Amino acid sequence: MMTARTASIDAPASADWVNLDDLNTDPFPVYSRLRAEQPVAWVPAVNRYLVTSFDACHTIELDAETYSANEEGSLMKRSMGHSMLRKDDPEHARDRASYGSSLRPKAIKETWQAIFQANAERYLADVLAAGPGADLIGLFAAPYAADNLRAVMGFDNASQQDMQRWSQTMINGTGNYADDAEVWALSERSSAEVDAAIDEMLPYFRAHPNSSILSGLANMPDALGLDAIRANMKMTIGGGLNEPRDVLGVALWALMQRPNQLAQVLADPTLTPTVFDEAIRWIAPIGMYPRQTTREVELGGVLLPAGARLGVVIGSANRDDSQFDNAAEFDINRPRKPHLAFGGGAHYCAGAWVAKAQVAQIALPLLLERLPGLRLDPEQEANIAGWVFRGLLNLPVTWNV
Amino acid sequence: MAKIIYQNAAGLSRTVEQDAPVTVMRAAIENGVDGIVGECGGQAMCATCHIYVDDRYLDALQPIGDDEAEMLDCTAADRDEVRSRLGCQILVGEAGGHLDEIVVTVPSTQV
Repeated sequence: MMTARTASIDAPASADWVNLDDLNTDPFPVYSRLRAEQPVAWVPAVNRYLVTSFDACHTIELDAETYSANEEGSLMKRSMGHSMLRKDDPEHARDRASYGSSLRPKAIKETWQAIFQANAERYLADVLAAGPGADLIGLFAAPYAADNLRAVMGFDNASQQDMQRWSQTMINGTGNYADDAEVWALSERSSAEVDAAIDEMLPYFRAHPNSSILSGLANMPDALGLDAIRANMKMTIGGGLNEPRDVLGVALWALMQRPNQLAQVLADPTLTPTVFDEAIRWIAPIGMYPRQTTREVELGGVLLPAGARLGVVIGSANRDDSQFDNAAEFDINRPRKPHLAFGGGAHYCAGAWVAKAQVAQIALPLLLERLPGLRLDPEQEANIAGWVFRGLLNLPVTWNV
Repeated sequence: MAKIIYQNAAGLSRTVEQDAPVTVMRAAIENGVDGIVGECGGQAMCATCHIYVDDRYLDALQPIGDDEAEMLDCTAADRDEVRSRLGCQILVGEAGGHLDEIVVTVPSTQV
């Protein structure tokens, strides 16, 4: 299809009014205004074009040739190495295939489900021991997601605390636009620790194979290079921990603020997958990811130059009223429609089934059953923050004992 | 030459024809056929391009692979043991292939 360049297509307007503090505190009013006024806008505060409408984000997902994942000057490449998340096909496809079947439903059913269940019981015991007022993020969601990821990835030589520290410090590096030296130092230290842990586990899994990702990588006949393995594992430590943690937190937080929907789920536990899906639509744990144009292209009625760095704001696309009625509302009874929380196309979240299993099938039902009368703790405030990654910082709850 | 006819439960039908080989999923996405989502872009990973193949074309299909079989257990609409397939795994119009035309029915939901 030829698109003639015409004088009627303007360059995107500049949204000077957007600032990082607002985005971090509550990005949704910012997104709402951007969608209404300029769904493809140049945003000086983030040094990118932000794409906020469902249609434009979806267009990008369908056209990997025009919208490359291999972004120049990517901080993620500096922090974690060049992972599959920042590659295009065919290079991306080779990396992606190296994860084999470790994250697929069959492995979940045969191997991971029992481990997730045991981890859930373990961290629930910590919540029960702490008693009413316990923080469900610090005592449950974070260690549970970290321990599950540790097993799935095959970091038998690390603790769940290591996983949490690695994830957070390298993600901080990925977002270190301020070029803070201390942030880089911590990120580099974690990166070196992950490299050492991988170096130790690969030979071990050659002798003792299991269903984990590292074991699969150790035993691939046509092995990936070590640089690619390291980068992909670091990306997975980042994406595999925060996202299930945050969707679990958001799902519970949303339900506790809506007693009618909570009662509905308590009466019908088969609704937990619906709760999961609505939670990631409502507050996508990864709210924005980058792309870069490979050519001049018209998007959302404006003209983007070649090499333009974009932020694909799926956290906003999922709140677009043109796709979802009353999109700002958390509503488990809304008609099911596709959303963009897992991304789309070649980069569709590899951990989607693992996330659904650990959150929707195991953690949500367990917490709702074993913490009767679960509700927000009136004595303490729950805090939520972030826009690139958004989730609860803490979630103090109480229940009937 | 590839010709794909998409039917839905309401009896409506859409026909997509093109010269180049194409999967049932990709042709639907590129032509805006309702009821096929194809979230994962064709990796047999998301089960949102589930379709029911018309009986007449079943024999011409490649067998169901392990990944596809696994996904067919995860579809939003009920699986039909005989006719359910993933649209991303069915290539139509391949030179030297056995499938230049297919009729499929789109399920009531993919999500």
